[in-house]
Amino acid sequence: MVSLITEDFWDQGQFVAKSLGMPNVPRVKLPHPVAGLGEAKIEVIAASIIEEILNSFANE
Amino acid sequence: MSDFLEAENEEMALEQLHDMGCTDGLPVVIPTQERVVRCILATGLDGDMVLGELGPGMGIATVEKVATAAVMAGCKSDYMPLVVAAVKAAAKPEFDLSELQATTHCTAPLIIINGPARETCGPVASGYGALGPGHRANASIGRALRLCLINIGGGKPGISDMAIHGHPGKFTYCLAEAEEESPFPPMHTSLGFDETDSVVTLLGCEAPHSCLYSDNADDPEDAEKLLKILSVGLTNIATNNAVFASGMALVCLGPKHANVLARSGHSRESIQQRLWELTHLLKADHIRYGGEFGKAFRDNPEGTYPAFKVPQHILVMVAGGVGLYSMVMPNWGGAGHQNSAVSVQVESDFFCAIPGLGGA
Repeated sequence: MVSLITEDFWDQGQFVAKSLGMPNVPRVKLPHPVAGLGEAKIEVIAASIIEEILNSFANE
Repeated sequence: MSDFLEAENEEMALEQLHDMGCTDGLPVVIPTQERVVRCILATGLDGDMVLGELGPGMGIATVEKVATAAVMAGCKSDYMPLVVAAVKAAAKPEFDLSELQATTHCTAPLIIINGPARETCGPVASGYGALGPGHRANASIGRALRLCLINIGGGKPGISDMAIHGHPGKFTYCLAEAEEESPFPPMHTSLGFDETDSVVTLLGCEAPHSCLYSDNADDPEDAEKLLKILSVGLTNIATNNAVFASGMALVCLGPKHANVLARSGHSRESIQQRLWELTHLLKADHIRYGGEFGKAFRDNPEGTYPAFKVPQHILVMVAGGVGLYSMVMPNWGGAGHQNSAVSVQVESDFFCAIPGLGGA
């Protein structure tokens, strides 16, 4: 499992991961916000993080 | 039992609590051992007794921790059964507290109190300005729950509470139903309780939104016009209920408006039914304005859809002074239970009145 978290929610992700007993759950940071950006910009973001996501899965 | 902090005096203790992020930003009553023990004693419960788990921090809400929050909030010990019931309600899984605390939506738990405890554990105001300043029980009971959500549940703005703008009701949000002024049976009897029960109902919802309706006893359509006004306030296309087509909401009828509906023959149940019918919205508007959420009806764009799944998801209560206004409180509608209301009976059998110790 890899969680995708935008940068404004990064601290919240850390807080929830810790409180649920999963402090080391793999996470990948996205720019904030991603909602409403339109398909073209989402594709740019996806391309920029795909390698990090795959690496996170590989390291699980 | 809890560890103790130390400070030279109450002024320095207050600064310490502010620095630790344990307050809501306003000064608190310093929770000394004597004050906290007094509130624990008032519950008649063991200080270590667990009332529930509060998310997203998943802190354990013991009677002692809740009593500490109640002292900090300025509660009289008399209020403790209501504070305890509110915390129990917040900890129920169906309240989805972790999600409510964490969401970007502006939602705060509104505490609605019914039954004899409005007086025996108060008085909790239900009339003029019940949601405003000047009522100690309303102010401090709601604040006690908020301090529990901060210090036990871990709800800290910008870290674990991601409400985009926050919500003034996150300082306190509490009122009683004006049962004596209502032409209808008390709200808790519609939720399965006896009239003699005391009940705390918790609903995560937005700030109150005023609905103006200038009634006219000579108008045969008076009640229907009022219901239309209330429905527009409840579910304009900017509300979560309209866009998510889920969740619950509260209609807080002013006594004057309640009587407009009663004299036309309405019951609470028929009000809920008619409001549910009137909150069927155009799918075309949902598709146009619902953004990503608007995809729901794109394959079937004709006609209307219900903003609320069933009429009972529109709670109806009576409170406030006598005038031309009622209030509506839409809600978030998210999380596993779609932001449900939760009711808990107030347990005051074990309550111990402490002579000479009415203050916190």
